[in-house]
This record gives sequence, C-alpha cells and structure tokens, in this order.
Amino acid sequence: MASTITLDETSPATDDVVEPFIPGNREILGLEMQVETPENVVLSYQLAGPSQRYVAYLIDFLIRTMMLVAIFMFFIAPLMELLMPGAMLGLFLVIMFLNTWGYYTISETFFKGKSIGKHACGLRVIREGGYPITFWPSLLRNLARSADSIIFYGVGITSMLLTRRFQRLGDLLAGTVVVQERSLELPRKPIILNKIKPLDKNDIGSFLPRDEVLSLIDEFIGRRHVLTYERGHALAAQLAKRLAKRLHYSGDEKKVSEYPMAFLASVYKTFSFSQDQEEQELVDEYNKRSEMPGEDTYE
Amino acid sequence: MNKHKFIQKRRPQWKKFELFLKESSGKSLSKLPADKISTFSQLLREISHDLATIRSRGWGHELMSYLNDLVARGHNLFYSAPPTNFGRFYQYLAADFPRLFRANIGYFLIACLLFFLPMGVSWCVVQNNPDLASRVIPEEYMTQFDHMYGEEGGLNSDTENTTEGDTNSEEAEDPATGTFGDQRAAMAGFYINNNVGIALKCFALGVLLGIGTVYTLLFNGIFLGAVSGYIISQGNGDRFLSFVISHGSFELTAIAVAGGAGLMLGNAIIHPGQRTRFQSLQLRGLEAVQIAGGAAAMLVIAAMIEAFWSPADFPNEVKYAVGSGLWLIVFLYLTFAGLQTDSRFRLRRSSTTPPQEGDQHR
Repeated sequence: MASTITLDETSPATDDVVEPFIPGNREILGLEMQVETPENVVLSYQLAGPSQRYVAYLIDFLIRTMMLVAIFMFFIAPLMELLMPGAMLGLFLVIMFLNTWGYYTISETFFKGKSIGKHACGLRVIREGGYPITFWPSLLRNLARSADSIIFYGVGITSMLLTRRFQRLGDLLAGTVVVQERSLELPRKPIILNKIKPLDKNDIGSFLPRDEVLSLIDEFIGRRHVLTYERGHALAAQLAKRLAKRLHYSGDEKKVSEYPMAFLASVYKTFSFSQDQEEQELVDEYNKRSEMPGEDTYE
Repeated sequence: MNKHKFIQKRRPQWKKFELFLKESSGKSLSKLPADKISTFSQLLREISHDLATIRSRGWGHELMSYLNDLVARGHNLFYSAPPTNFGRFYQYLAADFPRLFRANIGYFLIACLLFFLPMGVSWCVVQNNPDLASRVIPEEYMTQFDHMYGEEGGLNSDTENTTEGDTNSEEAEDPATGTFGDQRAAMAGFYINNNVGIALKCFALGVLLGIGTVYTLLFNGIFLGAVSGYIISQGNGDRFLSFVISHGSFELTAIAVAGGAGLMLGNAIIHPGQRTRFQSLQLRGLEAVQIAGGAAAMLVIAAMIEAFWSPADFPNEVKYAVGSGLWLIVFLYLTFAGLQTDSRFRLRRSSTTPPQEGDQHR
C-alpha cells in the first residue's frame, strides 16, 4: 500500500503536489468505499475482495461440517443408543437445517456481522450506509446464497466482479457490503529524529515542501522495514532526487544519490522541526484555549 | 501545528476512546450509565473532528486509517441495532407478516396460479390416465407410494415399528405412543429440513429475474399433482387424502406464499419503477424476505402436523374435519391477523414509500 502511494505521488505528472482528498468527488475503482455519516464525517472502509471472502467461506464450511460431525458423534449417536433414536435423528435433522440455513444469519446478527470464518479473515458485513447489519438484511443476504452458489458460486463471483463494491447477489439484495477490519493500531513513532541532523540552511533555497510530502516521508521511513534495503533505497531515491532539485540542494551530491533515506529524513527534520520555538508557543496557546469548556478547535 | 504535536496532544483521547470501545464491545449502548454515554458521544465527535483535521492537512495515510477505524467503530456502536427479543417475534407472526402478505397479495395470487393450476391439471390428467404418471414420477418413487399408501403401508402404524424403540422407553411412558412419537419426531426433522429448505430456495431463486421461482413452482405443482392423481388412481385415495388434508393447508399455502415472495424479487428487477434496479431490489427485497420468513414458519407448523397428526390413527371423518378446520385457520390467519391496525400500517407504509406504477401489480 505504502509503496504504491509513494510511486504515485512522486510521479512526474504530479511532482510533489499531492491531490487533496475530496470525498465524493470522483469514484475511483478500488478497494476503498466511502460512507458519509450523519455527523458529516466521511468514513472509508476497505472492501473485501472475492479471494478473501472465498477463504472465509472455506473456513466457515469446514467449521459447519465439523460442527455437524461432532454433534452427531458426541451427542446424537450416544443418545440414540440410550433413548428414542427417532427423536434424536429428528433433532439432528433440525440442527442440520439450522446449520444450512441459519449459520450465517445467526452469527452475523449476533456477532456484529461476523461469522467465524469472517472473523478469522478479519472481514465483517455492514450495511451500505456503514451501519451494523440487522436480522432481516442478514437473513435476506444469506437466503440469496442459494442463488449465488449456483455453479460453485459462479453466479456470486460473477456478480462480485461486475459490481463496484464486490457484492454478490445477496449483498445487492440486502444492501450490504463485506469490508476488511483493520487492527486498531496507532502508527509507531516514525523517525528517530535525534540522530539526524537537519540540512544546512545555506545549501537549500526557499522552497517549502507541503505537509503531505513531509508525512509521506514520515510514513515511508516509518515502514522501511517492510521493504528490502535495496528496494527501499531505490524507491526513496526517486523522491530524494526530485526533492533535491526543487530545494536547489547544493550540498553533498553523494548524500542524495547514495543515502536517499537519510537525505529524506533530514529534509523531514529540517522542515518539520525548524521552527520549534514558534510551534511551542502555538501549542501552549492551543492548550490554554482547549482547556476552556465548549471550545475545541485545533488551529 | 505540527503532526507530532498533534498526535501527542490528542493521543490520550484516542486511547481513552479505544479503551471504551474495548470495554463496551458486545454490550448495547443503552445498558451503559448515562455519563459514560455522554463522554462517548463527545469523544466520538472530537475524534471525527481529528479525522477531518488530519484529512485536510494530509497528515499521512496510516494515521488517517487509524482514526478512520476508531470513528467507524464508534459509529457502529452508536448506531447499533436495538436488541431483538421474543416479543418482536410474536409481533411479527401475529401482525407484521400477515400485513405484509396482504399488502403484496398480488404476487401470492400469481404464485397460486403458477402452483395450483398445473397441479390441478396434472392431477386430473394422471388420475384419468395413470400410465402418464411414469413420465413425471420416477419408478422407485411410484413403488414407494404404492407401499406407503397401500393396505399394509406405513400409515397403518400399529402393525410394525416396535423393534428397537421400546427397549428403553418401557418405564415411564406408554410404549405404544412413545414409539409412535419417536418415529414421528424423526419425520418432523426430515420435513423441516427438506420442505422449508425447498421453500426458502424457491424464494431465493427469485433474484434470478424470478425464473428460478417460476420453475420451482411449476415443477412442484406438476409433480405433486401427478403424485396425487397416481395414488388416487391406484385406489388408495381415501387413505392419501385423509393423510394430506391436514398439513396441506399450511404446506401448500406456504409454498405459494414463498413463491410469491420470490416473484416479488423478480418483479423488483424487471419493473423497478422510478428507482434504479438495485434500489428497488433492496427496498422490496426487505419486504419479500419478511414474507418468506412467515412462509418458513408456516412450513415448520406444517411439518409438525404432517409428522404427528396426519399419520395418527383416527377415523378418516375426524381427519377430514380437522383438516378443513386447519384450512379455515390458515385462511383466517392470513386474511384477518393484524387487521385492526392495517389501515394505519398502510398509511405509514405509503407515506415512506410512495406507491408506484408496477409496484403492486404486474
């Protein structure tokens, strides 16, 4: 994810101008789904693709089968020998019915849109408005499973590929989508800044990089361990060269070409921490203001 | 303001919110104390604001997605559905389902036409001409029917079936009814599993432009008609009809009800009215599934009757009487249940969803 963004945003066409985020401006074909809440907040959800959902389905299928076998072996079969074999068989058939037609509906209704397989894959069913799923839509989407599952889910997969939000027929019918749940994790501290020296003021011109570029550097370096050393540097070099040009950097050329990551880090340090003093004042003022009740602006 | 400062400043609130989400996961919001709810809603708004700030500044994808998830979870908790209870279920069966059924009765009538008409035709044809039965019914089924409804078939229940069941059930209960009930319980499970499954499938296949539903209705109509005609032509008519009449009330009606719900789905795609096809599908799908759910409940009742009452050893006159009574009950239920508030319901319904051309009629 991070690497594609890096490439996009440093491509020649956009230079270091990052397109601003305008919700609802255009619909991009992608994995993001945007939903506007009543508070006028735009939430984005990551849609789940067919392959993920297939894995979840397989897990659920295994669990359902094993559940039936286990119930039969450990509960039904022993009791059948003791008393009322017919009633036990009937009970088993009812359990089988609930297992076939109710497994998904029950689990999605009571476990917030997740079945066990979906939970294992980090997936969740929500309604298109971002709301949690309720009983009837859940029943609807899971009854329609029998239409979707024609030709080994051929109908469902076709429908998923044809719709923007990867919805199978049941989803279209009930107005639901399957999204990926990301783990709640605050991004870790990006750059160990005390080891890095800012650029010399004499080496650069008056160009000021935008906030977006700075946080791009921040994130890129924060996640550098995801990539191999060579690949990370190759990617960083693109941005470093471009930035050096814009900055009219006249210092050590080697620094840009051979240690682009270090260069980026020092750019970051230069611009985000150069006016520490001024910033501190602003923060103090902000703190004072936000301690007063009823005011919460972050300017 | 700098990104790091911002994170430092706001982080405690985020953590607090995270903790709150963790604590209240699985609980309904309405069960929490009032002050907690108000802090929750305040935090939710604050964090929504943080998210907007970060978005407008472009302060990084990861931070954004973190906050986005926080807000999304809070949003989900805040707007979570009211808990379902059994009172609701009763309300649904007593009023909501028959009301919805009546509001969309046109579909039901068409489903009846698709189901009962071919049934009647194939019944008449096969009864007058039993040789044709083999074109519809597989051979092994035919011999099975002959056995079932024949003189010493399974319906004359007292001759057989006391082989393994009575070894343990001797102590407390009457062994005869015990084994009878026992065997029948297995059949009840079978009927539920089989029949309700077929009806639900019949409904769900409606999403394929209604073709699946029409096919299922026609097929079952022709098949059941042929079976009836065949059995009667073999001279087992009295035994068969007295067996079928009781549960037939719930079963056959429910099949048509489920078929009607399936046709609703098909028609929602074919005649979307002024909405898009998907919108119309979603709107009417939600009504259709509630009708199908009622049909499923009726089929469960039918399965119970079929298993425990229909094969019971009573004179045929009693069975005919009870069967007719059940037909009457089904008719009264679907026609009158929840009727006293029907007009108010229709008013509410029509105010939210203005009736459109092609909405009610095909």
